[in-house]
Amino acid sequence: MQSMDPLPMHGRDMGVHPDDMIEVQEAEQETKQEVLENKDVVVQHVNIEGLGRTKEDLLGYEISEVFHAKNLVDVMKKSHIARQKLLRLGIFKEVEVVIDTSDGADALPNGLDVTFEVTEMKRLTGSYNTMVGNNEGSMVLGVKLPNVFGRAEKLTFQFSYGTKETSYGLSFFKPQPGNFERNLALNLYKVTGQFPWSSLKETDRGVSTELNFPLWRTNHTLKWEGVWRELGCLARSASFAVREESGHTLKSALSHTMSIDNRNSAIFPKKGALLRINQELAGYTGGDASFLKEDFELQVNRRLVWDSVLSASLWGGCLLPIGGRPSSIADRFYLGGPTSVRGFGMYSIGPQSEGDYLGGEAYWAGGLHLYTPLPFRPGRAGFGDLFRTHFFLNAGNLCNLNYGEGPRAHLQRLAECIRWSYGAGIVLRLGNIARLELNYCIPMGVQSGDRICDGVQFGAGIRFL
Amino acid sequence: MCNLPVHVSCRSNAEYMSPSGKVPFVHVGNQVVSELGPIVQFTKAKGHSLSDGLDDVQRAEMKAYMELVNNMLLTAELYIQWCDDTTATEISRPRYSSPYSWPLNQILAYQKQWEVRRKMNAIGWAGKSLEQVYEDVSQCCQALSQRLGTQPYFFNKQPTELDALVFGHLFTILTTRLTSDELGEKIKSYSNLLAFCRRIEQSYFEDSQAGSSSRGYSKGPSLF
Repeated sequence: MQSMDPLPMHGRDMGVHPDDMIEVQEAEQETKQEVLENKDVVVQHVNIEGLGRTKEDLLGYEISEVFHAKNLVDVMKKSHIARQKLLRLGIFKEVEVVIDTSDGADALPNGLDVTFEVTEMKRLTGSYNTMVGNNEGSMVLGVKLPNVFGRAEKLTFQFSYGTKETSYGLSFFKPQPGNFERNLALNLYKVTGQFPWSSLKETDRGVSTELNFPLWRTNHTLKWEGVWRELGCLARSASFAVREESGHTLKSALSHTMSIDNRNSAIFPKKGALLRINQELAGYTGGDASFLKEDFELQVNRRLVWDSVLSASLWGGCLLPIGGRPSSIADRFYLGGPTSVRGFGMYSIGPQSEGDYLGGEAYWAGGLHLYTPLPFRPGRAGFGDLFRTHFFLNAGNLCNLNYGEGPRAHLQRLAECIRWSYGAGIVLRLGNIARLELNYCIPMGVQSGDRICDGVQFGAGIRFL
Repeated sequence: MCNLPVHVSCRSNAEYMSPSGKVPFVHVGNQVVSELGPIVQFTKAKGHSLSDGLDDVQRAEMKAYMELVNNMLLTAELYIQWCDDTTATEISRPRYSSPYSWPLNQILAYQKQWEVRRKMNAIGWAGKSLEQVYEDVSQCCQALSQRLGTQPYFFNKQPTELDALVFGHLFTILTTRLTSDELGEKIKSYSNLLAFCRRIEQSYFEDSQAGSSSRGYSKGPSLF
């Protein structure tokens, strides 16, 4: 073990050891094989080794708790937590903890030295993928610079060049030293999207800055975004209502999101709840889109007998145009599809014109799910755990509100003509963020104009009702 | 001129709404047809045409003159608006960017300017000076004036597509405010063209005073 002998101060000593200052110590260490369990100990030195470009002050906050450990078990627990904290900074490939008795002139009989041996990530990592999608191929180039200036800042650049469209994104992330959950992100992007359900194609070029911070038990995000949107028709047969929306608009919006998530996992949670409320105000900081948009997401999970989980979710939102201008098709809400009300075509519920779905200014959607492990539990504790069977009941409505009427009329509008569906299927978890579903759905309450997908429906995505 | 009911609607995104990217376009029932050629064909397929009375020779002549107008007048209009720096800065860019907010208005106006200049480069007009362009316009007007002669319309008694096209361009040139009046003056120097424009304006655009349904906007420019 190598450590720099610090100034003889009690308590908060930290030896930081850059690679090119390796001190070779004559190691004549007697291994003290004392049983230290449950014996009061004092952590004398906490060292971090293997630092190159990372600045020391950043790490002090993450490891400071270790000094307060009182006995060996506590030291091990706190070191483990500190290791997790160091890993979540995203700048180290590997962190190992070594706990040993103190050495040196000022070593106390019950003193301990804790050393974190870290391996920093490379300065620059690149990735190259090719993707093949709906009649389109593209190559994706990604470049990541973790820990650019030494305080866990991260710069990423992604560029996708396809047969139909090109998109790119540059993003810079900076956490506050000592408070990783408080961070700032700056993004610059150009993305193109094609929406065949509305015969619309949209190119967004934008810049956004985002500030995340926790407040008591909630997480908040404040974001300003400026986007130049270019809308166009995807086909000559697009309806005139969509053609009228073609052109350029500029949206400059401030948004705030509050979320509380105490589920034990994002996919297949067994218990806990999620509440996310988002509001967006556009038009007061420039641009020509002017509206106030509110939407929320609620999910509650509860474990039942035999490893099955009952999950209920509710989504809703409304868009209020300000200043008399009608809302743009790019800002409205959409409903339907394998990720929202199952049994209906993708975003194919609600106001439409000649087969193109225009979206609506207000919506709500609810789902009730029962998840059970696969029958007979094949592949238990291994591959089989990635699957679940689920039985679901989904309902929802999407419409445009006439804001001249009162709230009573609005609620009435949203309550009439409810679309709903029920069915069962199999869900597969992908990593920790996405899931695949294969369902058999029976849609009900179908209104004229909606497109349904009864029978087998396949869905893949990140956010499901 | 075909006596078809039409409603003119002005939209800031008309250029983008059009399937080919160019105005004018018409929206009839479910169909959207853009640019003069296809519109004429479309109305012809529905049974309305202005050039039914022409024989093949005259029709070929009409097409030739329409090409002349498109190549000369249209290009000259684009040149003057976007390649002449004073006009571009004082008139074209502010007008083009007016529906949008900053910074989008600057981006779009400059984008349009680069696009037009690139097109001018491609057809070889970039090297021309403003004087040369005025000369070209003058020559084109001379050809039109000679063809018109003393007749009320280009092909004697009835207006044809050529009359509509020529009226459209000349009327626009005469009523658009530019940095100098030189272009307008050049056209006015051909008195029969001026009379031609006035005649068409009177016959077709002033007959419905109340409502102005054939105009669609409450007060438009006028030659008077």
